[in-house]
Amino acid sequence: MKRYLETGNFAITEGAILAGCRFFAGYPITPATEIAEAMSRRLPQVGGIYLQGEDECAALHLCIGASLGGYKAMTATSGPGYILYADPYGWAIGCEIPLVILNSGRVGPVSGITGAPGQGEFYLTRYPTQGGNYETIVLAPNSAQEAMAITVEAFYLSERFRTPVTVLADQLITDGFEDISVPENEDEMKDMGFRIWPRKINRGPNFYPPTDEIDIPPVVLGHNTGALCSDWTPTEEGYDIEEVEAHHKHAHRLIYKIRNHRELFSHLHEKKFMDDDPDLIVVSYGTPSRVVNTAVARARQEGLKVGALRLINLWPFPDEHFQKRNKYLVVELNWDGQLVREVQRAAGKDSEVHFTGCCGELPTVNDLIEIFEKILKGQPLARKGWQLEEW
Amino acid sequence: MDYLARKYLRPRKIPSTACSGCGLGINHKAVVQAIYELGLEVEDVVWGTSIGCAGRQTFGTWKGDGFAGTHGRVYAIARGLRLALPPEKKIILTVGDGDAFGIGLLHLIHAARCNADLTVIVNDNLGYMSTGGQYGWTTPYGSKTDSSPYGMFEQNLMSEGMDVLNILRYAGATFLARHVSMDGYRVVESIKKGIQNRGFSLIHIIYPCPTNFGSRELGTRSPLKIYKWIESKAAPLGEEKEETLWATGIYYDASNSRPEFSETIRKNIERIRRSTAA
Ligand SMILES: Cc1ncc(C[n+]2csc(CCOP(=O)(O)OP(=O)(O)O)c2C)c(N)n1
Ligand code: SF4
Repeated sequence: MKRYLETGNFAITEGAILAGCRFFAGYPITPATEIAEAMSRRLPQVGGIYLQGEDECAALHLCIGASLGGYKAMTATSGPGYILYADPYGWAIGCEIPLVILNSGRVGPVSGITGAPGQGEFYLTRYPTQGGNYETIVLAPNSAQEAMAITVEAFYLSERFRTPVTVLADQLITDGFEDISVPENEDEMKDMGFRIWPRKINRGPNFYPPTDEIDIPPVVLGHNTGALCSDWTPTEEGYDIEEVEAHHKHAHRLIYKIRNHRELFSHLHEKKFMDDDPDLIVVSYGTPSRVVNTAVARARQEGLKVGALRLINLWPFPDEHFQKRNKYLVVELNWDGQLVREVQRAAGKDSEVHFTGCCGELPTVNDLIEIFEKILKGQPLARKGWQLEEW
Repeated sequence: MDYLARKYLRPRKIPSTACSGCGLGINHKAVVQAIYELGLEVEDVVWGTSIGCAGRQTFGTWKGDGFAGTHGRVYAIARGLRLALPPEKKIILTVGDGDAFGIGLLHLIHAARCNADLTVIVNDNLGYMSTGGQYGWTTPYGSKTDSSPYGMFEQNLMSEGMDVLNILRYAGATFLARHVSMDGYRVVESIKKGIQNRGFSLIHIIYPCPTNFGSRELGTRSPLKIYKWIESKAAPLGEEKEETLWATGIYYDASNSRPEFSETIRKNIERIRRSTAA
């Protein structure tokens, strides 16, 4: 094990390389530029390829081409670039191409503030392309060290499910310096819980079986398997077809291969002070969860019975955490409230769901504790300037 | 196409579902003929396509591996794939003019810029025809289409002395040719040269679309009329006449004169890998 004082960008790069990534195509954008830079330095050292795309749409298409040729491939960006993935993302979902995509959230809309953290793409990562009829996999780390592990896990899941996986980070995770341990051999990787799934080659002739099974090798071109992949609805062999029934089978697979294997995501969450049935559950993901964890620990010392639930697996959405009637507070790095809508849906009418959002900066521990107190006393959350809003 | 079809194409997709009288099949056959004459086998070629008539009618016809990209993006996909495939594998793309010269032009230029070993066959039916017949970036000045009902009057890539092949030449392409489908064996020869160039090759082939272009511009779906019309506006390079829109032949041949993209990348990665491992 080697220890570094380094950024999340460094950790993500090293995680990708450990997972077998040997192709990266990027496009400069704060706060993900340093991943591209690190990849350009590190990949050639291990025989891998770094390319700069003419734009993000090209970058992800380059990754698709490389993945179709057998590479484990990755790209990284922030909101303005992520939106340009809409076209290739859909193609990769439809053709079931394994890829890893990192999105480091900053403050939007559009270019917004480049150097501040944001969480404006919770739903965009669920619906990264048009057309519907698919499920997506999205994972959100909350530290540099975890970003490494989650990158490795993203590659693992992308191969098993044959689909792009988004790692949703934010500016503080990718830019922030932290203590990072990098495993140096397979045993150390195992000890850290890193799982690796090798690239396999589908030999056909049925490249798109209409089942919800996972672990079906993806299409790899160039091995004369007769593989076909296109942007149209495929037959099982990959021919384009304009038939509703064929599309039903295709859509069923794209949705249920993921929804029916939730057990592969169920460990991807963190609970703090949740064993004694807390009166208020504070829900968050990414960097704000670190403030939430501190605030909840402090609130406990002050006698408030609150617990913290951090989601790492955002999509498919883990409804199972919200089955019990309770009071929930959702803390996000946006003002419009995104995760809170999903929590409200999953928690149902009998639960009380509150929201507090920040924009471009983290909440403070004191502010959060004040909000916990108010909710527990049944008081309305008073507006506090621009900072805190009841949703 | 019999013997060629039996050797190289999938029975399921032959005959194609193109409109009767469509010239696309002539271009398609020329590509397969060129592959045959170069002695290539099914496993030597990965065949990519765009969408539209050009893409959909040729996708999945090749017996070997094939793909169809989203509109305009196949050049970026193919460039990624180029890096993953061994250099001796040929990547041949059959695409439409709207795809290559409209939505995909940026990616096309970048494929030429780095001299990626791809052979791009642009099947030009003079506009967007699978969507019913709208003008494109090579539609002749004055032509009526569904979106230029008063005649095409906007500047495009083939008007006022402009030529889209100039853009590609100065972007770095190493083989460029232009033909009309009726050029017969000359088309096959150009495609062969394009495939043999280890670098970026593009063969631009104007072909007749009787259903949409013909019916709007010429007022008839008669294949004969549009075949004759296209022929009358084409002449071999150097023999152009006043009415010539398309000078045909090899426009630019700098085959194998520039380092190829994937070779360059591989060579440099090997160099860096060795120097950093030491
Ligand atoms: C991003 C996107 N925009 C528009 C379309 C609709 N579309 C389908 S086929 C086509 C025409 C393409 O024209 P061209 O490449 O010239 O091919 P042709 O049909 O003329 O052979 C268009 C615009 C699409 N599929 N995707
Ligand atoms: S619309 Fe035109 S180009 Fe398309 S298949 Fe019909 S004739 Fe051919």
